[in-house]
Amino acid sequence: MSLTSSKVESLEAKSAPRLSLLGFTMALPPVLLVVAFVGLPILIGFTFSLGFTSGPNRVVSLIGQQIHSKDHWWGTFAAYRDVIHDARFAGDLILTLVVTAISTSLVLAMSLGIGVYQRMVGGRIASIMSTLTLVPLFVPVVISSWAIHTFYSGDGFMRTVFHHFGINFPTLTSTTAAIVIGTIWTSLPFAILMVTSGFQSIPDALIETAQDAGAGFFRIVRTILIPLALTPIIIAATFTAIGILGSFTIPYFLGPNQPTMLGVEISNFFGSYNRPQQSIVMAFIVFMAASGIAVAYIWANVRSAKQSGRI
Amino acid sequence: MFKNKFVKALVAAASIALALGTTVPSSHAANTTIQVYLSADTNIQDLWVKTLVPAFKAQFPGYDVNVTFDLHGDHDAQETAKITAAAVLHKNPGVDLIDGGFVTTLGAAGLLYRPTAGLLPNIKDVNKAVLTAGKGGIPYRGSSVLLAYNSKNVQTPPKTLDDLLAWVKANPGKFTYNAPNGGGSGYAFVQTVVDKYLTEADRTTLVQSASPDLEAKWAQGLETLRQLNKYTYGLNGTYPANNAETLKDLATGLVDMGSVWSDQFASAIKAGTMPSYIKVTQISNPSFTGGASYLGIPNSSQNKVGARLLANWVLSPTAQNLIVGGTLNGFPVIPLSKLDPVITAAFAGVDIQHLRAGYLSANANDLKSKWASIVPGK
Repeated sequence: MSLTSSKVESLEAKSAPRLSLLGFTMALPPVLLVVAFVGLPILIGFTFSLGFTSGPNRVVSLIGQQIHSKDHWWGTFAAYRDVIHDARFAGDLILTLVVTAISTSLVLAMSLGIGVYQRMVGGRIASIMSTLTLVPLFVPVVISSWAIHTFYSGDGFMRTVFHHFGINFPTLTSTTAAIVIGTIWTSLPFAILMVTSGFQSIPDALIETAQDAGAGFFRIVRTILIPLALTPIIIAATFTAIGILGSFTIPYFLGPNQPTMLGVEISNFFGSYNRPQQSIVMAFIVFMAASGIAVAYIWANVRSAKQSGRI
Repeated sequence: MFKNKFVKALVAAASIALALGTTVPSSHAANTTIQVYLSADTNIQDLWVKTLVPAFKAQFPGYDVNVTFDLHGDHDAQETAKITAAAVLHKNPGVDLIDGGFVTTLGAAGLLYRPTAGLLPNIKDVNKAVLTAGKGGIPYRGSSVLLAYNSKNVQTPPKTLDDLLAWVKANPGKFTYNAPNGGGSGYAFVQTVVDKYLTEADRTTLVQSASPDLEAKWAQGLETLRQLNKYTYGLNGTYPANNAETLKDLATGLVDMGSVWSDQFASAIKAGTMPSYIKVTQISNPSFTGGASYLGIPNSSQNKVGARLLANWVLSPTAQNLIVGGTLNGFPVIPLSKLDPVITAAFAGVDIQHLRAGYLSANANDLKSKWASIVPGK
């Protein structure tokens, strides 16, 4: 007996470091990849935005236009000043934030609607509806944005149909409204998946008990469904918002020329106008906005970890 | 024991993967492969991939041509940077022959292999002025921006830029041009309006050298463009994103007039995507820009012999006939007398030798940026 137990102990003592080595080796490639191919370029890009134009930034500084070199040991804010004083930037930033806020709220409202319907009513129609909402997931963004473009354009379906009734339907292509429609289309499936699965994990017993105690539909939604599924709802909201914030294809095809969302403007500055430094400055501003949203995501994760007793 | 082996195998696999990742050799299969880099619209991609390359390979079976395509030249700045960096660091740029707007910029920077009649015999047939303007680039086809109009609704198209501007104001919502950063046809309209207020000397300077001091003189032209916002298609200062969208708006009858590329328009007519009652004309005083497209062989190219062979072949009557008569409908760079008279009949009455040049790319980039800040939606 004592022999076997000591054998087991020695085996455990031996395998623990081996396991940790195995775990470390397995975790290493993605970490190295992120550090080498994402972290380092971000760092180099940041130094470039501050006017460090030698070393790895030498070639881009030779080619780019309106490049500012550092005039202090820590660099210069000249490129940041350029961007902030550029007449386009305020409009672009406002448009980006407004589209993100409107689209995220609408996506969230719609996915809550579908989620609640499926959880509380259920049945065939509910499952057909939630399956249909996944369709956008399988249509490439380029295709769908071009389809939306054609649908709402001057000679598009909507205007043609309304024309027959003598109504002048507005041309939505090249407007902010078209960007909102496009971003909702692409963001909806993921949000619905997150929210409905959050609602599905709530035990029937809780809902039935509340019903027995006389709670109405809205009370159950407000005091049971939403609080218990808050973590997946917040995760859905943050992922949707970050995705919309950095979107390119939808605003490129559907938005007005100016103001445009920052994703498109960064690409214009980098390519068409050949101003790499200013485009990196804008990228850092989007990055900061996304970090603000990421704080909500981390809070939601910590909250769910606390609930399940992991921390 | 198993775990130990597993860990060893894993570590071994990881280190092999890392070693492979860092030491992939940049092999060049004995210089029979010519790397061609295209920065253009899809019609140019078709010209090379479907027409020129197969014909070249049929004539020179020993060579292989690998085409890299960059739509609308979205990565011109990066590719220029890559070739500059390769020259500075004496590394292989991975490109032997370039067809793109940035070739003349590379030429001006001294990064191109200078073409001479000794190295490229067929260059003797090319217009000397066009060749000199290339700064080391090899002109191989031409194209121009033209004014397309719907002949059903417009009986007498405008003849000068002033006439055109007056027509746009008299017919609200019936003219459009695409955003200049999205395609050259819209860019040509913008530059032409801006040039209206510049002296001939200033225009020449902007074509030849980076001249930020002259850019203040664009203000009047940009203001004219801004005032067109309420008259162009949409009536609210929005513009099509690229060349193709302008063509689509013309074909579907949304607009009666727009600026288009000669070659894209001719291809669309041939393909039937553009109705035959849409016609093209050139305006004057000033005319829309156009010019030769240049090929460039980077100094650092690893296969200059192959690149020279291909470039020389492209200037031959055989290849020029393909450029003119194929799906592209480009302008030739060698005299029409050397080409098939049936194919060149279409050029009767069009002056293809004297085209008004676009700005140097640094100035063009600034004009695109200024247009975006001042014109759309304002």
